[in-house]
Amino acid sequence: MSPAGSSFTDRLLGRVRLGGLLSLAAPVLAIVFAGLITSIVLLVTGGPPLETLGVMVDYGVQPRTMVLTLNYATTYYLSALAVAVGFRMNLFNIGVDGQYRLAALIAAAVGGAAVLPGPLNTVLVIVVAMLVGAGWASIAGLLKVRRGVSEVISTIMLNAIATALGAWLLNTDRLAVEVAGSNNIGTKPIPEAARVPGLEIIPGTGTKVFGLILLAVAMGVLYHVLLNRTRFGFDLRATGRSESAAVASGVNVRKMVLIAMIMSGAMAGLIGMPQLLGASYSYSLDFPTGLGFTGIAIALLGRNHPVGIALGALLWGFLDASSNILQLHDISPEIVAIMQGTIVLSVIVAYELVHRYQISAGQRRVSKELAGKTPAQPEGASA
Amino acid sequence: MKGPVDDSPGPSVRSHPHSLSVTWAVRAEEAVISTSTPAVELEGITKRFPGVVANRDISLSVRQGHVHAVVGENGAGKSTLMKILYGMQRPDEGEIRVNGKPVSFRSPADAIEVGVGMVHQHFMLADNLTVLENVVLGSEPRKGGLGLDFGSARERIREISRSYGLGVDPDALVEDLGVGARQRVEILKVLYRGARILILDEPTAVLVPHEVDELFANLRGLVREGLTIIFISHKLDEVLSVADAITVIRRGTTVASVDPKDVTARQLAELMVGSELPSPETRESTVTDTVELSVRGLTVRSADGRPVVDDVSFDIRKGEVLGIAGVEGNGQAELVEAIMGMRAVEGEIRLGGQDISAWPTLRRREAGIGYIPEDRHRHGLLLEAPLWENRILGHQTRRPNVKGPWIDRSGARADTRRIVEEYDVRTPGIDVDAAALSGGNQQKLIVGREMSGDPVFLIASHPTRGVDVGAQAAIWDHLRAARAAGLAVLLISADLDELIGLSDTLKVILRGRIVADVDPRDVTPERLGSAMTGAGEAA
Repeated sequence: MSPAGSSFTDRLLGRVRLGGLLSLAAPVLAIVFAGLITSIVLLVTGGPPLETLGVMVDYGVQPRTMVLTLNYATTYYLSALAVAVGFRMNLFNIGVDGQYRLAALIAAAVGGAAVLPGPLNTVLVIVVAMLVGAGWASIAGLLKVRRGVSEVISTIMLNAIATALGAWLLNTDRLAVEVAGSNNIGTKPIPEAARVPGLEIIPGTGTKVFGLILLAVAMGVLYHVLLNRTRFGFDLRATGRSESAAVASGVNVRKMVLIAMIMSGAMAGLIGMPQLLGASYSYSLDFPTGLGFTGIAIALLGRNHPVGIALGALLWGFLDASSNILQLHDISPEIVAIMQGTIVLSVIVAYELVHRYQISAGQRRVSKELAGKTPAQPEGASA
Repeated sequence: MKGPVDDSPGPSVRSHPHSLSVTWAVRAEEAVISTSTPAVELEGITKRFPGVVANRDISLSVRQGHVHAVVGENGAGKSTLMKILYGMQRPDEGEIRVNGKPVSFRSPADAIEVGVGMVHQHFMLADNLTVLENVVLGSEPRKGGLGLDFGSARERIREISRSYGLGVDPDALVEDLGVGARQRVEILKVLYRGARILILDEPTAVLVPHEVDELFANLRGLVREGLTIIFISHKLDEVLSVADAITVIRRGTTVASVDPKDVTARQLAELMVGSELPSPETRESTVTDTVELSVRGLTVRSADGRPVVDDVSFDIRKGEVLGIAGVEGNGQAELVEAIMGMRAVEGEIRLGGQDISAWPTLRRREAGIGYIPEDRHRHGLLLEAPLWENRILGHQTRRPNVKGPWIDRSGARADTRRIVEEYDVRTPGIDVDAAALSGGNQQKLIVGREMSGDPVFLIASHPTRGVDVGAQAAIWDHLRAARAAGLAVLLISADLDELIGLSDTLKVILRGRIVADVDPRDVTPERLGSAMTGAGEAA
């Protein structure tokens, strides 16, 4: 009866494994359900559901939109990985948002100062971003291990502080300069030699895919290897599954909390990089915000699995990219936000349903196996 | 196999000499039931959980007005059976008949509907409420629309208490009551809901001897009034003294129904374990002169600064098993956690001559401390992880589990297969989650793992708790073999036979202090038991 003993959070955060096809069934179920809900909302607001979907798909497969989708997905993927690192050991890093914004701002300023030549500057920008993200996250980590402050509370508060700090720093007296030809202000643009060129991997459009999509892929591989193939990853997962067992086996849980928080923050620092080094080259008032929260949704959707997260990020990117067309058809693009929200909610429900189905399927399988044999030596239930 | 049924002749021999009039809630159908209809019949009950069969083809017949004992070892399937009987779980196969009528319970509410109630081992009472409030909780009597009719409820509680001699005051605050009285409140709670068949799950586990006597007097009072009691226990002398009929469960199925007049405790025990009782005795001493673990002035404080382990000192030599006897909760768990480095301590711990007091847990493990934890689910296993990952747990810095910073999957998996083989862990494979294994097999995996780290010192905390007899004997064999090979062992157990049989030296712990040294060669469980409660302190 122990499989039923896992807590709802364990299942939600994917610490309980779902077998093979079933792990796909849940999100597919959720997306279908979300489609139904969205259709109802569309019907109520007077939009034709099937046509709307058709419009979105038609627009979504155009080369330019596909590039857009990939670019969105790149940042979402990094964001979700940052969240997932924490999730794997029971840490809710809600502060990814603040971490990446602060990291991008400071990294942009450093990059704009051009202290190093060419590609070395690129590396410097990325390293600074990771350090700032890690540093900001480590505040929450230290508060947790030293003072027992819940990281949920502290990271939410640190988000607010990061916003204020960012506003203070992004001022013409400090890190910002006026952007030519507008009333926008931003950091000094990163010199051309340090920018990361886009990739023309989708033919038929001049728009390029972020060069740093390769960084996102590399991070996904690193995440997988680190968690599943290393001692460190084993300790991290063990702590997430059972803190008491981890302590008894010699894991220093406080150290793990701090390291996991720092890793999550460093990963968060990367979120702004594709945009910064591949498109805007400066951190200005219109730098994208809120990506950290999208990351939470996608990490949940992908059950913290590097491939699952990739699929989730692509779906999110597709929805965001193709929603642009809806306004031309007099449909509110917010319908996409409704769909995304419903997906997250229904995916949680679907994982739960699949989990229950698995338990009963497991019981049936066991009884079938036992019926096949002659009444073998039964084992007593564990007390 | 057809399960045996109760074969004691004729209806209950107990007469009803001075039946008090019971004016409440006697259901109409009960009045017409003849005493020859069994109160409860179970036939062919089978219940499966993933990976295990908890109950298999259970058959049981409980006579009206009997105290019917169901005995079996921990893990034999008693609890599952009782959960089925009061509607907590549904059987996969089989039929339940109450008063001759087939029933199908979807919830405990269905069970109480036909008069089957459960008195839990762990009390489910709210301390800050009165007895009255606790009893009516969940079935509050209504007056008019919204008002609670405490008056009539109080009257009914008094009446039940009087009829059955329970001596419960409805207006007493539960937190002021002793354990025995709380248990009577639990019984009354079930009676209040109209139960005529009471299931008592290990009711004496929490009681001291005179409370046990009182409980048994109460039980006799209840059956005199025509109630039926199903009494679950593994304490054989108690069962023999109170039961009218006994059914023995072993490995998930009913193996015998006996009359307590015809059996001795030893015969009953052998029915329970299905063979000659295994003996934990060790043959000859393997104790050497080399001290492996030395503990001096060890003190562990609770959060409020009170010492829970108080100035404990001892030595364990190579090849020696030091047993710690004590009633649970007297500091054993804290002592173990202190030696493992999981708690802040005062005092000195030396392993093989090295002062390890300041070492973290991992370093202690690397230095050769093996640890079979008391609570294997909390401290010994990752339940939701496959067996081979559990093999790594606690040994994540050592071969064959790792190569440098990398997990050595094939090495860990191969060694897990070896453990499964050598320690007879019954499992379909090493990729199943630890949660799918029965308690005994989980424990064998842990023992195998801890022995595989080449320990020089092993902490075995309740190593055979909740483990079936076969596994128990195997675990004892492994401990003995390791001891012969020079392992120093700290053994903590609630099983006095195990303690006496395996230990070379025995110490008694009481309120965190070592209060007595006992020679295991000439001590009886009875004398050890009295030393544990402090009665032997003066002696």
